[in-house]
Amino acid sequence: MNSNSPSDDAKPMIEVSDLSKNYETPGETVRVLAGLHLVVGAGEAVAIVGPSGSGKTTLLNLLGALDRPDGGSIRIGGDDISGFSPEEAGRFRNRSLGFIFQQHHLLPQLSVLENVLVPRLAGDWEESAAETEARARDLLAMVGLEHRLGHLPWQLSGGEKLRTAVARALVNRPDLVLADEPTGLLDQAASDKVADLLLELNREQGVTMIVVTHNMALARRIGRVFELQDGGLKEVAG
Amino acid sequence: MTGTSFVLRGLRFYRGSYAGVLAGAALGAMVLLGALMAGDSVKGTLRQVAEARLGKVDAVLAGGDRMFRSALADDLEELKAAPVLFLKATATAQGSGRALGNVQVLGVDKRFWKLGPGKGKGKAPKEREFFVNKHLARSLNLGAGEALVLRFEKPAVIASDAPLAGKAAELIVLGGEVRKICGKKRFGHFSLENSQLPQATVFVPIERLQQAIGFEGKANLMLLRDRMNRSSDDLSAMIRVRCSLADYGLTVEDVPLADAVEVRTSRIFFDRKVADVIRESFPAAQPVITYMANTIAANGRETPYSMVTAAGPETASFLPADSNGAVLNAWEAEDLGAKAGDELRIDYYALDAGNRLVERSATFPVAGVVPLEGLAADQQWMPDFPGVAEAEDTADWDAGVPIDLKRIRDKDEAYWDAHRGTPKVFLPLEMGRELFGNRWGEFTALRIPVAVASKEEVSERLLGVMTPAVAGLVLQDVGRRGMAAAASPVDFAGLFLGMSLFLMAAAVALTAMMFRFHIELRNRESGLLAALGIPAAKVLRWRMLEGLCVVAVGTGIGALLAVAYTRVLLGFLETIWSAPGSGSLFRFHVAPATLVGGMAGFVCLMMLVIWLTARKQARQSAGLRLEAGTEELVRTPAKALPWWALGLAAAGLGALGGTAVLGAAGAFFLAGFAFLLAGLAAYRWELMRRVAGASDGLSPRRLAELNCGRRATRSLVVAGSLACGVFLVVSVAAFRQHTGDEWRERDSGAGGFAFWVETTSPVDDPALLMDEGKGFGRVLPLRVGVGDDASCFNLNSVVRPRLLATDVSALTELGAFPIKNVIDGCGKSWNTLREGEVMRAFVDESTLLWVLKKKLGEQVVYQDEWGREFPVEIAGTLDGTVFQGSFVVDEARFLEHYPSAGGARVLLVESGPDIEGGRAVLQRSLADLGGSVTSTRERLEAFNGVENTYIAIFHVLGGLGVIVGSVGVGLVTARNLAERRYEFAVLHTVGVPGGITRRVVLLEVGQLIRWGLGIGLAAAIVAILPSLHAGGFVRSAVWIGLLVLLIGLNAWFCSWLGYRRQINRALSARQEFQ
Repeated sequence: MNSNSPSDDAKPMIEVSDLSKNYETPGETVRVLAGLHLVVGAGEAVAIVGPSGSGKTTLLNLLGALDRPDGGSIRIGGDDISGFSPEEAGRFRNRSLGFIFQQHHLLPQLSVLENVLVPRLAGDWEESAAETEARARDLLAMVGLEHRLGHLPWQLSGGEKLRTAVARALVNRPDLVLADEPTGLLDQAASDKVADLLLELNREQGVTMIVVTHNMALARRIGRVFELQDGGLKEVAG
Repeated sequence: MTGTSFVLRGLRFYRGSYAGVLAGAALGAMVLLGALMAGDSVKGTLRQVAEARLGKVDAVLAGGDRMFRSALADDLEELKAAPVLFLKATATAQGSGRALGNVQVLGVDKRFWKLGPGKGKGKAPKEREFFVNKHLARSLNLGAGEALVLRFEKPAVIASDAPLAGKAAELIVLGGEVRKICGKKRFGHFSLENSQLPQATVFVPIERLQQAIGFEGKANLMLLRDRMNRSSDDLSAMIRVRCSLADYGLTVEDVPLADAVEVRTSRIFFDRKVADVIRESFPAAQPVITYMANTIAANGRETPYSMVTAAGPETASFLPADSNGAVLNAWEAEDLGAKAGDELRIDYYALDAGNRLVERSATFPVAGVVPLEGLAADQQWMPDFPGVAEAEDTADWDAGVPIDLKRIRDKDEAYWDAHRGTPKVFLPLEMGRELFGNRWGEFTALRIPVAVASKEEVSERLLGVMTPAVAGLVLQDVGRRGMAAAASPVDFAGLFLGMSLFLMAAAVALTAMMFRFHIELRNRESGLLAALGIPAAKVLRWRMLEGLCVVAVGTGIGALLAVAYTRVLLGFLETIWSAPGSGSLFRFHVAPATLVGGMAGFVCLMMLVIWLTARKQARQSAGLRLEAGTEELVRTPAKALPWWALGLAAAGLGALGGTAVLGAAGAFFLAGFAFLLAGLAAYRWELMRRVAGASDGLSPRRLAELNCGRRATRSLVVAGSLACGVFLVVSVAAFRQHTGDEWRERDSGAGGFAFWVETTSPVDDPALLMDEGKGFGRVLPLRVGVGDDASCFNLNSVVRPRLLATDVSALTELGAFPIKNVIDGCGKSWNTLREGEVMRAFVDESTLLWVLKKKLGEQVVYQDEWGREFPVEIAGTLDGTVFQGSFVVDEARFLEHYPSAGGARVLLVESGPDIEGGRAVLQRSLADLGGSVTSTRERLEAFNGVENTYIAIFHVLGGLGVIVGSVGVGLVTARNLAERRYEFAVLHTVGVPGGITRRVVLLEVGQLIRWGLGIGLAAAIVAILPSLHAGGFVRSAVWIGLLVLLIGLNAWFCSWLGYRRQINRALSARQEFQ
């Protein structure tokens, strides 16, 4: 097992091999990821750090099937998501994935509760709307926003917005949560609260978690830490 | 939360952002629906006009100058027939002294009113009463109870310019009191002319009119209502069985001295067609032609004004069968001292090619002398020449030809007293046909031996073989034709759609841009939804649903606005097609199908645009959308773009080169479109090149270039909108028509003639009107034939333009009027009209293209005066002449088909230096003939005015499009500034002065406007150059320059508004940023 393998006691949830991704810009082709390997076990939490422009978000987008790799493969839960059609990718994200963004991306026209329910708009969930809403309320209570259900995003603080985004990421009971700089816009106190929340989720609900962050303190709390350098991953702690 | 509630929430939350989309949709819908409603309104109005014009009349039996019994209507009661005596007159209001020519005078009885629109109620005028229609009342400022005087020429039994047609131009004056003013419901709009323009009309009791013109019991028009909707053939058959010989103008008389029955015609000369029918039916029928000789001379002696008869030996047994000599009666032989073998000369009047009365001579050997007794002394040889037959003395003769009464001797008077018009000379039939035959016919009688048929038998058989059509009584299906003509040749819906195309394109582009702004605003939302696994198709559907709601509401608002917009458009049309003082013509109409179809079509169009915009976003990766926010993805420069630009420019040039195939308008628009696209391709390439290109350093200019290239699509939409606007406005401006002093030139549209004169009564000898030192030059008389006015003033669909016949050799000699194109194998000469197997015509190009929609070499079928069809070939086009709306044909060929046609009713007159003085003299000279004098310059200006009104509408719509395009510039400016407020905050934070920031913005705006104006101007100039006359372009250049300046300033103003609204907000963003 190389340095990018999962810990011994975890079944592989993510298996990335020889991943590459380029971007075309006016005048040149930028190689962002090249020959990247990563294996993450189910229920593991992994932090990915690296300088700006190193490709962290790109990697996260590829893991979330938001983008397609130029080379290599990505297997999540045993499925090769790099070969997914857009429809399959959407279904995969809607059923198995939770996304948390630095910008939180709450829809300004929707209330806090409605924002959490947005993934249900995909429309083919087996459970009833009432069940989903009950879980959304539970999740919002869990993140401490039970008193903000009807508020609109502009009425929330930065930390509250992010906690709403966390609740939204969990409403589909995902196997994997991908978080992109979740504390990037928060002050220290809010940042700590979010870190607590994420770790609690990982530990208590067994959600596999990949967190991209600049925040080394958060990274260290998560446990396994990889640094993205020259298009590849190097485990720097774990 | 469901998809529907998500959509509704989005609509509510983003209502501000959607307001622009709504406004664009409302504007686009208004323009589209307005164009369709204008089309419906014109169609509906023309239909109403046709219904008001014809009432319940389905068909008419038209005799023109041929009269039939008004009692024929009694025999046709199942057709609800109404007899009408139809004349043209000059009407003068006695109170005001105001006069109007070309007024239709209808002698009617109560049956006429029953055929009117609606319930057809209405009383007929009695005795000295006149009813007038509203148009005449308005024109003469006439009220009920006032006195009105009608002046008109007494109709002749034969065209007044025919030799021996009777006394010339007897003017009848008929006075009466206006009893009633008839509006539309009282059949006041009655007219058989397929035109929306009202005819001034006076209704007179038919008996009074019959008495006034000396045609008691006669009518020349029969209105028919056919509830059974019979075919024309069936109607003709019904009428035929009710016609008597009197309706055909035929009489049958016994000629005891000849043991024959003679068939005569009230028209003196038998129409050739009638003669043929009679001769076919009675092969034994022998023709006779009797004519007046001015002089019969031999041996140095002469006899004035005597009748000469030509007949065959079967009819006049004293004529030798094998001789072509003349037989004199004994009186004449004695008078001339002539005997067999002497040379006899006969002088007589004939018409030459120019319809001028000339005296001709012929000589014959004297074949013999016959005693003045028996058949040779029969007075029945002479037909009832008007003005001669009924004269007591020779001094009373009024034959319609110049007669020198001084030449008449006592013995001549004694001969007349004793023998009346008994011929003094008999000629062989063929000789007589050759000398005296004219376009009205060759025979004055047909004699059938009693041995073949009695008078009764002849009459009976004639009724069996004659038809109304043969007698020149033409059945016209005016109901069907009228409604067909009401379908205007100009598809106004299409026309306004075409003229509004740019405005609509601008509105659609603006809407698309606003929607795109909106979509970009929600890029992250869409990215998030994708990240959360919401299917892209579902998100697209929601976007479409939101768009549909906005567009549907916008279209509804647009439909309401379209009603007002249509009224504005109709107001423009009123300026062209309403008769002065006749009130408003156009009525607002809209068909439900048009409204629903238009709205649905527009919504579909907008949804297509929205789908394209939304789909483009959906195609971007979710990650990119989440990252890019409102940024546009910048692509690497496409290497093919310069080639595209060159290829499109080449295609534009190709289109110009193919003008002959594509037509001028098609080539112009195709070329313009290609040049515009070429310019935009070049701009896109330039944008990309600049973004990708290396820079010597960052400057405000460089920053502006980068910013324009950063959102290339926005830049292209703005520059494209402006370019289209400039193209349209500039090119249309260049086509403005100017009327200057060119009319003086022979090759101008006026042909060098100063006046266009139309008279109510025919002018038989125009030259006589111009003498007495009145200072006029050459006069070109034109006969007016059948057909409708096909000029741009007539909105109705015209299949057969009015025929204008003139002696084309005069035009050839003058080299007058610009002949633009002629059919292959012909020279560009008026003489072309004399050639060919069928009658040929020249027509104004605009009439050919826009009204007839035909091409050179095609034929139009007319009916001759016997109802027979014959083709007229379109042999050439004229370029912007006073003949617009008519077919100009050669007079000689015209008279072959319409021998009974009266004299000229249109005159083109050259003027001396004093134009206004000349007009007054001319007006006075032609007062009795109901002449109306227009200067050719005014006539051309009026035609050009129609085109210029179209151009004005084009300009207004194009101008609105430019404003929309300019608003687009302002919106883009505002949007860019709003989106870049952090960029400005950064500049401010790093100490870049606000002035630099402003300069960057102004440079960006300047670039967009410069490219927009440049592309549009260049495309317009290249596209219009081949179609422009140098003079026209120079005259338009100032106007064009002004327009471009205005467009540029307008765009600057709109962008300044956007700039002013956003710049301070953008600069104050530093607070937020910091």
